Amino acid sequence: MDSVTQHHSKTQSSTRDTTMDEHRLFKFPVFRLPKSATVRAMGMYLSGALYAIGFWVLLDAALYSKRVNASLVHVTFVDWVPAICSSLGMLIINSIEKSALLNNDASFMQPSSTTTWQARVVLFIGFSLLATGIAGSFIVLILKFLIKGYNTFPTLGMGVANVVSNASIMLSCIVLWVVQNFEDDDYNYSLAL
Amino acid sequence: MTVKPITKIIFLSVLLSIGILLVVLSCALFHNYHPLYVIAVFLVAPIPNAIFSNLNANYQSDFLSDSAPNGNPFKDFGEFVTGIFVFSGLVLPIVFWHVQLIVFWSMIMSLSGGFIVYASIILFSMFFHMSDDDEGFDF
Repeated sequence: MDSVTQHHSKTQSSTRDTTMDEHRLFKFPVFRLPKSATVRAMGMYLSGALYAIGFWVLLDAALYSKRVNASLVHVTFVDWVPAICSSLGMLIINSIEKSALLNNDASFMQPSSTTTWQARVVLFIGFSLLATGIAGSFIVLILKFLIKGYNTFPTLGMGVANVVSNASIMLSCIVLWVVQNFEDDDYNYSLAL
Repeated sequence: MTVKPITKIIFLSVLLSIGILLVVLSCALFHNYHPLYVIAVFLVAPIPNAIFSNLNANYQSDFLSDSAPNGNPFKDFGEFVTGIFVFSGLVLPIVFWHVQLIVFWSMIMSLSGGFIVYASIILFSMFFHMSDDDEGFDF
């Protein structure tokens, strides 16, 4: 009985919200965009899953080279270097406070401009590390596998795994960056009131 | 939904035991105890989310300034680590099968068993989620 009344009042309040909401995107109230907090949490889980794909693909290549590889080429420390570069770049990029990048105008608060400049330099280092990781994975694939003639598939798979791993770490970084820049709409609105 | 809590608890414990039974069978039928790591990974998976989601009161550095921080970095980091652990548990039997540590049917059984174990953990936090907002369900 208690839960029934609670549910009833909840539906009442939600219908009142939809009728009073003027900033709808669609005409019909059926298509409501999900709440930004839910999208944010889902994006975080997705980013973690993508990073786990990158890590496990590389670890799988290393274990495959150790246990079932019959060819002469093996996974060594060189194959891990691009992924380490990508991970460092991802760590640096997503540690930056995003609001430090936005105040770019010459306002009367002088110390903020140095913070902005520092943030841009650190962000540039992070993006360079990420790009170095991607490029390094292609370098390993070409110089270690394709040039030396290892271009049949069970052997070439260890080189392709390197590229897949770095690409998925970069995708994880992109998802994390985009999701962090979502605004909490209702939260900011209640603060502005 | 008027299900008593004791019914939910019995259902969840049966689900958890089915999952653990599948994983242990996937080890014992083939005399190869590598898939037991799946249970450990899935049991560890909700811990970062539970720890880091309670740290939100400490991060209100510039609360009223115009550059208000959107979101809570500790909560985000906990969700990120939880995503890593969940996907690691899902992908671990496939990696074991690919490097020929376990056979194919052992991979299938440990995959489904690990999924059932994690689903019971999720359902537990869904059934007994005490929050004031209707959404905000966390894995």
